[in-house]
Amino acid sequence: MTQVLDFLMGIWDYFAANILTQPAFLIGFIVLLGYVLLKKPLYESIAGFLKATVGYLILTVGSGGLVNNFRPILVGLKERFNLDAMVIDPYFGQNAVTAGIEETFGRTFSDTMILLLIAFVMNILLVRFKKYTKLRAVFTTGNVQIQQAATAFWILLFCFPNLGQIQILLIMGLILGCYWAVGSNLTVDITQDLTEGAGFAIAHQQMFGVYIFARLAEKMKKDKNNRKLEDVQLPGFLSIFNENMVATSILMLFFFGIILVVLGPAYLIEAGFMVEGQSFLFYILQTALYFAVYLAILQLGVRTFVSELTESFQGISNTLLPGAVPGIDVAATFGFGSPNAVTIGFLFGALGQFITIGLLILFKSPVIVIAGFIPLFFDNAVIAVYANNRGGFKAACIFPFISGVIQVLGSALIAAFIGLSQYGGYIGMFDWATVWPVMTLLMKYLGYFGVALVVIALLAIPQLQYRANPEGYFLIAEDYDEYVKKMTAKKV
Amino acid sequence: MRVLVSCANGSGTSLMMKKSVEKALKELGFNITNIHHCAISEGKSTAGQYDVVFCPMNFLNMFDDAKKKGITVVGVRNVMSAKEISERVQETELAAKFK
Repeated sequence: MTQVLDFLMGIWDYFAANILTQPAFLIGFIVLLGYVLLKKPLYESIAGFLKATVGYLILTVGSGGLVNNFRPILVGLKERFNLDAMVIDPYFGQNAVTAGIEETFGRTFSDTMILLLIAFVMNILLVRFKKYTKLRAVFTTGNVQIQQAATAFWILLFCFPNLGQIQILLIMGLILGCYWAVGSNLTVDITQDLTEGAGFAIAHQQMFGVYIFARLAEKMKKDKNNRKLEDVQLPGFLSIFNENMVATSILMLFFFGIILVVLGPAYLIEAGFMVEGQSFLFYILQTALYFAVYLAILQLGVRTFVSELTESFQGISNTLLPGAVPGIDVAATFGFGSPNAVTIGFLFGALGQFITIGLLILFKSPVIVIAGFIPLFFDNAVIAVYANNRGGFKAACIFPFISGVIQVLGSALIAAFIGLSQYGGYIGMFDWATVWPVMTLLMKYLGYFGVALVVIALLAIPQLQYRANPEGYFLIAEDYDEYVKKMTAKKV
Repeated sequence: MRVLVSCANGSGTSLMMKKSVEKALKELGFNITNIHHCAISEGKSTAGQYDVVFCPMNFLNMFDDAKKKGITVVGVRNVMSAKEISERVQETELAAKFK
């Protein structure tokens, strides 16, 4: 008997050491499992396994490069001014978690992947019983799931440092799964309205933000001389901000350029980051552009394994959940409404962020925030799209500006609080600068009672939505045209 | 036919769009030899290696240069809708060129 047990334990130990704690292979096997469940041919399943694993290994290359490239800035600011610099961007945030999680909590990034799985299963279960939960959307955006699982995992470890591995994964899986389901579900109605029944919801990082600003924008409709963005002509050069690589390079050059100039060549040479006789101008240029390089590598890796992950996830959720709406990337909404909204949202969001960053420096904040492309572009663009659709031009300028201010302030406070800022990054998206800090505080100071409070509060939201319109609530997701007919008939 | 699908960041939306495009083109009887999804930055630089580019409506003007070179560029509103993509493809000369 003991021999059998020993043998089984041996298998388990081998599995844990080589797969469970190795995120690259873990992702590969998750994808493999998904494909087998979907009854895909063997050669496709193997290809999926390889692509997912290779994708993750590419990500680690980009990740290592970013950390190295960041060192002169992080070390320099710490040594000379005792400041933490952090980029608010989901990829930098994910990187910060990867860099700090072993050192801070003695865990590996693999736990994050397991958490992702649990949360996804939780989301599916919640929608499976939509009769009771009133939840209509499944969160399928893989790259966002990974970023959020990483940050959420850190937050929970910070709140409950002494919990065992299984308990912590289960509690966090429950909370994250609820957030995914409830957040996506919040956006079903406004998205159907914007897209005239395209049949999807948002599964991203500002779902609560979009909902709140969309509702606020409705209040601005009453203004008589309120135009929509469709009637405005924007200058042509703004189109360069549509290119992620160009925008990232410009942002990084601006922020890191200033920081490197402040540190000065004398310090950089003394600390061994720069070589004697090297041109300072080109050192700055190269350092800033290398951020864009490593970010591109990292994103290539993410893209590679996420396409496999999404393929298997979507297959699974479509077979299990007919009638549910898929939650997808916010960029899917950019084709609706005004194309100007995306640019206007980006610009006013940037304005809000830059002013706030300036104020942080003025008031001697211990954390310097560096603007990242993704929160600037995706959060604020999508807020502008919805605000313009429901409240016109003014709403599309004001709300992204407010969002930019909140992104910086909220991120600086929470990242310093949970100790992520010293690793150079935080996710920085709207919900993670508002909703999640509140949830973190509740869990940190109220313990299990706080966890219960968070889950109950989240699950109450769809119930309230349902009560506001019981007749049309499920109809709007299932058959939009029928819904419109019914609602106009009701008005008459 | 070589197909490129391009969106702002090259991860979420273009992946959904790629699936819809595959479905639509298969139904119309096109033979896809190569399909790739990517970010606008990459798409602008590599469009020349493809026969047709699909992108969200609001990024149509990013591919003006590709259009000048004679590559078919198709703007899509609802990335989830194979039906819409199918209609848009039928408005182009793709069928005459590649079938």
